[in-house]
Amino acid sequence: MKVQPDLEFIKSLKLAGGDTLKKCYQCATCSVACPLSSDQKPFPRKEMIWSQWGMKENLIADPDVFLCHQCGDCTEKCPRGAKPGEVLGAIRSYAYTYYGWPAGLAKLATSAKNLPMLIGVPALIILIFWFLSGAMHIPSVEEFAKKGYTNFFGHWDFKWYAKNIFFIVAFMVPAAGIAAFSIYKGITKMWASMSKNAGIEPTFRPSVMQFLTQFLVPSVTETLQHKRFKECTTNVDRVKGHLPLVFAFIGLFIVTCWSLFKQDVLGLIWPSLHGPLPLIDPFKLLANASAIALLYGIWVLWTNRTAMEAKGKSSRTFYDWFLIWEIMAVGVTGFGAELLRWAGLPTFGYIVYFMHLVSVMMLFLYLPYTKFAHIVYRTTAMCFEKYRESGFAKNVMS
Amino acid sequence: MDKKYCAYICTGCGIGDALDIDELSGVVSGEMSMECKTHPYLCGKEGRALIEGDIAGGINTVVVGACSPRVMTSEFNFGEDKITVRANLREQVVWAEVKPAEGEEPHAEAAELLQETAADYMRMACSRAKKTALPEAYKLEAINKTIMVMGGGVSGLTAAKEAAAAGYDVLLIEKEAQIGGKARGWRKSFPTKAPWTDLEENPVDALIAEITANAKITVKTGTEVARIGGAPGDFRVSLKAAGAKTEWDAPAKVTVDEQELIDKGQKEDPNQGLQKYTAVDPGAVKVGAVVLATGWKPADVSQFEHLGYGKIANVVTNAEFEKLAKEGKVPANVAFVQSPGGKDNDKDFPYCNSVTSMVALKQAQYVCQDNAEGKAYILYQHMRTPGSMELFYKAAQLNDGIFMTKGSVVEVGEAGGKVTVAVEDTLLGENLNLEVDMVVLAAGMEPTTLHENTINLAYRQGPAFNDLSLFDGYADSHFICFPYETRRTGVYSCGGVRKAETMEEAVDDATGAALKAIQCLESTDRGVSVHPRSGDATYPEFFMQRCTQCKRCTEECPFGALDDDEKGTPLPNPTRCRRCGTCMGACPERIIGFKDYNIDLIGSMIKSIEVPEDDEDRLRIVVFVCENDAYPALDMAGMKRHGINHMIRFIPVRCLGSVNMAWIRDALSAGMDGAMLLGCTYGDDYQCHFVKGSEIANKRMENIGDTLSTLGLEPERCAAEQVAITDYDKIPQILNDFVESIVEMGPNPFKGF
Repeated sequence: MKVQPDLEFIKSLKLAGGDTLKKCYQCATCSVACPLSSDQKPFPRKEMIWSQWGMKENLIADPDVFLCHQCGDCTEKCPRGAKPGEVLGAIRSYAYTYYGWPAGLAKLATSAKNLPMLIGVPALIILIFWFLSGAMHIPSVEEFAKKGYTNFFGHWDFKWYAKNIFFIVAFMVPAAGIAAFSIYKGITKMWASMSKNAGIEPTFRPSVMQFLTQFLVPSVTETLQHKRFKECTTNVDRVKGHLPLVFAFIGLFIVTCWSLFKQDVLGLIWPSLHGPLPLIDPFKLLANASAIALLYGIWVLWTNRTAMEAKGKSSRTFYDWFLIWEIMAVGVTGFGAELLRWAGLPTFGYIVYFMHLVSVMMLFLYLPYTKFAHIVYRTTAMCFEKYRESGFAKNVMS
Repeated sequence: MDKKYCAYICTGCGIGDALDIDELSGVVSGEMSMECKTHPYLCGKEGRALIEGDIAGGINTVVVGACSPRVMTSEFNFGEDKITVRANLREQVVWAEVKPAEGEEPHAEAAELLQETAADYMRMACSRAKKTALPEAYKLEAINKTIMVMGGGVSGLTAAKEAAAAGYDVLLIEKEAQIGGKARGWRKSFPTKAPWTDLEENPVDALIAEITANAKITVKTGTEVARIGGAPGDFRVSLKAAGAKTEWDAPAKVTVDEQELIDKGQKEDPNQGLQKYTAVDPGAVKVGAVVLATGWKPADVSQFEHLGYGKIANVVTNAEFEKLAKEGKVPANVAFVQSPGGKDNDKDFPYCNSVTSMVALKQAQYVCQDNAEGKAYILYQHMRTPGSMELFYKAAQLNDGIFMTKGSVVEVGEAGGKVTVAVEDTLLGENLNLEVDMVVLAAGMEPTTLHENTINLAYRQGPAFNDLSLFDGYADSHFICFPYETRRTGVYSCGGVRKAETMEEAVDDATGAALKAIQCLESTDRGVSVHPRSGDATYPEFFMQRCTQCKRCTEECPFGALDDDEKGTPLPNPTRCRRCGTCMGACPERIIGFKDYNIDLIGSMIKSIEVPEDDEDRLRIVVFVCENDAYPALDMAGMKRHGINHMIRFIPVRCLGSVNMAWIRDALSAGMDGAMLLGCTYGDDYQCHFVKGSEIANKRMENIGDTLSTLGLEPERCAAEQVAITDYDKIPQILNDFVESIVEMGPNPFKGF
């Protein structure tokens, strides 16, 4: 292999939380601690020297890097303070930026310096839409009690497509669309690099169904069970935060889908279905339960991370904290908006609801470039892990 | 000295309980006709007062039957003008008694046997006291206290500085036109203080300035030592211009056989045109001691053909790279190759050690300092960064532009103006192909003594140090615990000639060697020995009238202390002597001896041992024990109460090399049943304080075995064993096994003749 160390890559890893990477002296204690390591692939010892040598290509196409869920056992055991777990986090952060599209946006989402832009742009867009909708007024207490936030962007009489929904879709869907496209580009590129690096030249490709049943479903199931998380020793508390968070997102996803379906499809037939759900509605219950789970989960992760940082076991990075802040913002503003609605405070309610919209848009828009991207990249890596062991990856003809 | 004797037996520490003291003092006062007193606590204030009272009353030779002579040394020291002889009744008699195993009946005569052993030790001590004399120190008529430092590099300069600071005149000899040595070519030096991370200014310029300004130091550049004759306190140094050939160059050693061939004209005389080694150069400079700091030379690395040194322009050695770095010519991409071995050999370059590892770490930093995008690859099999230098390694590691991996460098080649390096078995899990501007090979540091005599002594045993092949040519005595010593008294080595080392180590080394030289001068001035018998005022005296010029003493002296004349008569140089007594052991005519240690004295001790006849339970075996390691090990065995057979009698000797075979014959002809030598390990990992003693003794014992068989005695009655000071738990077994084998052979058939 021809070696051409990428000094810029090393620098960016150091900035993204891998500042200790050069301390590694290859004793392989980490590989002993890590359940992902095998005799042929001493993980993450090899990844550590690749990082030291600036070997970007090897790292971004290494499924193990994405399979690592940073349990911290390696960092805990490292005799040199090289914090392999943190370095791997930095590599992932780099990889998300590397695979991210458009590159400018991906780069923007890597630094706290850009926070004004990162928050300001979505806020401005939503504000502009609010002005464009012509609905920029705070409702009366009675109106607020009846409609909640469903008339945030106003109301028109065209019943087939509510004005509020029109405006929300107008900015949320493009945001999610950019993210989806970016992710599609990212994971196809990653899959190709991983296959190339693993030397896989497939003769047969799995069908969509085969892919789903053999690779994707088992991977998702594993994620939901948090099996690998529980193998950690050092940082096992993280499960207590991460698991509620996962279920909260699933719950909120279901509620959002139902809400869309109910308001925009069923609402066409029975207009009375518009407006806020009653508290005893099962979906409202699910929504509230999910919101509480989300707040609890993110609070656990927040405190956990703060404690780890205080002990010097984790580095304080924008990469990690941006996602925590984002989720916290989504949870706090969402739940806050609901509480304010009950309290009958339209002005405050509208402000918080606005912030909620901003935070949700940010979550969508920046998903491919922030730590949130692990949902897709990690799942892809888990699929790849199963794929490379499957008959598809092994050249059965030879 | 008119000797007045008195013996004292201490009854403390269990001695009084185990022995019949009255009977024991009866042996002394009766058989040995020496007054004998007892005291329950002889090393205490009262005990000492008892002896001092007697000394005030005229006693000047004291026999103390108590503990080992290795302990209570100051308590039983009554001044330089008094003689004290110690009998080791505690560690080697009372504490060394064989106790019956559990359930076993004690020996029926156990008490008697112990009593007999104690009595023999008192007899030996008394005979020793009668034979010993007070030493008279050998003093030079005029002593020269100038210290000559050979070599003006960092070590030499430091040695000169330290010696001058201690008040001694220094003569500094440097071959090159300028002092400063190799260090003048170094851009930076390693960290010497916390946090041990940053390169430091090269200290050599400051050191040069300091030396040049020092009035106590005379610097002679462009000068070499042709020969060094004489002895500590009185060395005669012939100097010459560097590279010149003179009649005073040190002559090579010519053996007797070679001389014969030369005389017959069958061999060319290597010393043609040179003065004899004994000749005195009237133009010689006088000095008192020598510090050898001649340093090292970069090893040749062209033998490793796959590395392309000498063929590819940009493949250089570490020393050459340092020079380029000093001139500011550091390329941006550099590979540092630490081990040449290819795939099957993970050894570093010959004569490498931690220094070359650290040099690579230093030079890699130059690459990153001088080039914004500098990349330095360190390809190693071993990184050695001892002590605090681990922090230096860690700091270098943190540098983004330094890339390190263990790996086998299999090929260095050339392609498109670049140098290519192929590395296999790397930590990256892949074979690497590097493309760099320059490859730096970690060439080793060969000591100057590897290829040359360097010290150029005009000694009978030749101009160079002996047996340096044991140390790969380094001028290291390897006296285990004796750094800076060499096999030539008054010559102390330091710096690169002793070991591949950093400047900081060289500074420590040089300071140590300068102090050693000072110790030597002061000891010589007082007429006493240097290490390891520091302070010993005796020295070997020769009764020349009976010398047969057999040359054994001159050949065997481990320190080359003896020169000789044309006929082979030894010419002693007492200030070169370390007092081991190897010459005494060698001499077949028994004409060499010390005031307190000689053939007659030890012979009398042997003869004073009572040898019962016709008693299978009372065989007698004499064991000559080296004082340095074996004797303390025996004491420790006693402290641990490891039982030693009652038939054994120990006699301490200065070194096994000093054991004269006459003593073995004396012992056997006195009817003793066996004799053993107990001394240090020899060979590659020798531990002998006098380097050669135990090895020589072993050869002599093989020869005496032959003699015994011609007399009809079993050669197995004589044995020599090697032990270490830590072998106290093995020694009883070795001894008891030997006793058993003697018991099987039966008593000495000459007993009673």
